[in-house]
Amino acid sequence: MKRAAIFLFLVLLAVLSLGKGNLILYGWSDYIPEEVIENFSKEYDVRVTYDTYDSNETMFAKLKAGARGYDLAMPSADYTSIMIKENMLLKIDISKIDNLVNIDPDIIAQMYYDPNNEYSIPYMVGTTGIAVNTLYLKDYPKSWEIFQIPQLRGKMTLLDDMREVFGAALKYLGYSVNTTDETQLREAKNLILEWKKNIAKFDNELFAKGVISGEFWVVQGYGENIFYEATEEELENIDFFIPQEGSTMWIDSFVILKGARNIDNAHLFINYILRPEVSAKISDYLLLPSPNVPARELMEEEPVYTAQEMENTELIKDLGRDLRLYNDLWNEIRFGL
Amino acid sequence: MKSKRDFTGFLVSMPGILWLTVFFLIPYIIIIIYSFLTSGIYGGVELPFTLEAYSKMLINAGYWQILWRTVWISMIATLICVGLGLPAAYFIATSKHRNMFLTLVIIPFWTNFLVRIFGWMVILGRNGVINSFLQLLGLKEPLNLMYTPGAVILVIVYMYLPYMILPLYSAIEKFDFRLIEAAMDLGAKRTQAIWKVLIPSIRGGIGAGVILVFIPALGSYAIPDLVGGADGAMLGNLIARQLTVARNWPSSSAISMIFLLISTLGLLVYLRINKVQSKRRVQVGETYMKEEED
Repeated sequence: MKRAAIFLFLVLLAVLSLGKGNLILYGWSDYIPEEVIENFSKEYDVRVTYDTYDSNETMFAKLKAGARGYDLAMPSADYTSIMIKENMLLKIDISKIDNLVNIDPDIIAQMYYDPNNEYSIPYMVGTTGIAVNTLYLKDYPKSWEIFQIPQLRGKMTLLDDMREVFGAALKYLGYSVNTTDETQLREAKNLILEWKKNIAKFDNELFAKGVISGEFWVVQGYGENIFYEATEEELENIDFFIPQEGSTMWIDSFVILKGARNIDNAHLFINYILRPEVSAKISDYLLLPSPNVPARELMEEEPVYTAQEMENTELIKDLGRDLRLYNDLWNEIRFGL
Repeated sequence: MKSKRDFTGFLVSMPGILWLTVFFLIPYIIIIIYSFLTSGIYGGVELPFTLEAYSKMLINAGYWQILWRTVWISMIATLICVGLGLPAAYFIATSKHRNMFLTLVIIPFWTNFLVRIFGWMVILGRNGVINSFLQLLGLKEPLNLMYTPGAVILVIVYMYLPYMILPLYSAIEKFDFRLIEAAMDLGAKRTQAIWKVLIPSIRGGIGAGVILVFIPALGSYAIPDLVGGADGAMLGNLIARQLTVARNWPSSSAISMIFLLISTLGLLVYLRINKVQSKRRVQVGETYMKEEED
């Protein structure tokens, strides 16, 4: 009898959860505040599953290898472009995304790979910079040059991301982050090999925790990962800056994946995120400038860098076949291949 | 009568065989095929068939370096495991509280693998337990314990030591300790008795432990990724990188094949040792029986 009751309860639970809508999101770790997801869940009675990745490459490889069941992903610009070319995305019905008008037209103008937002709607725009723990290090250049200081050997990390590290080196040398000129790239490679001697490791996962705890003093990274992780108190000792030579810029967008089962909910979610008050809340969490024009007025926190300061940054573009050159050089740097 | 029993045996083993075919053999065949194909720009594989993935690997010294590093790190870790595992297993097998000790050996498995790696990071870090203690003792600059090959070996040993202790334990437990007494009665010293009587007769257990530690150590991915340094990559990291960032599936598959080759070689050596041993056991048994008859 008792067993039957439990069984009935489970069936009921299953039926109830079936009645609810679902949305399965494959996104960057620590990127969408839980509060935002919960509020969306409540408002639309949709159950959201948030599965995470730590690099575009991981996400792409998993989807390319046939992972199914995800509705939304949030690739950066170069990967959005690749996924469009590789026919991995569904068209977005813009008529359902009426909040798209809130997005800064300057940003949409940068989205050369999808000028009419047929496949991608921007979530956040930002730059990669350097974070320093000022408890340990007081005097330092606000430049990529910092990775050349031998006294900091073993206390710094660079991202384990080919385009980001090449981007940093290329910017330091005064070249474009999307160059396909072999001499420039070789010069960048030699510079990165110099930097490599001074870093503890190439790291995508622990730089935020590391710089907050003082395990690392200087890290190349995404500001929002650090701010998401740190308490107010800890933040006082973190200096995040865009190096004077400039840096890479990224646009992370929502895309609807082929094979998505909850297409309507995906549209609802994107439109929800683009609401000024929601977008402001997200930017407050991540301390990033908001791509959402009306949201900028609503933000309570001061972003760590402003949209103006990003002028010296350059969008990472997909280079197609020319990426081979980067790959070969990166293999030499990373694995001595 | 016999054929009927064979048939039942076949039926019973079917699910296992099916499982291995679907989830082991077929994936491996796919990997073998991929390793001979051409890589697409955005990942995936394309025709025509080529040996490029292998030839690139053969002529490139970097691959051999990583392969060598992977093998020596795994070998050192395995040797340390044998060195630590033997006395531990001996102690447990001869202890009155063996069940308690066995449980203690297994307890770490209750915690997630990654959490335990992070635990080591807390211990070894710049502001970690060891460095804080050393600084209390007056050390000025914290030691760089993390992001070194030593840290990788340490964590591999920690992770896989139970896989060494358990087979050693079960081998030592079956061992007839009167043989040691007999050896000592015949004039052997205790250490001699252990080296010449105990160790040879638990060789199967040592072999099993070595295989159980060495092969997973070869395939380490998360450990070198998290506690290894800028130059700490092992074969597993290279496979992952070729698959994701480089989007070169054939290369990734070819490296996996090399990996399979090494682990198969290890297994063959193990089987050979085992075979020699069981043959000897049969021989010993036969002479023993003959003596009985006389």
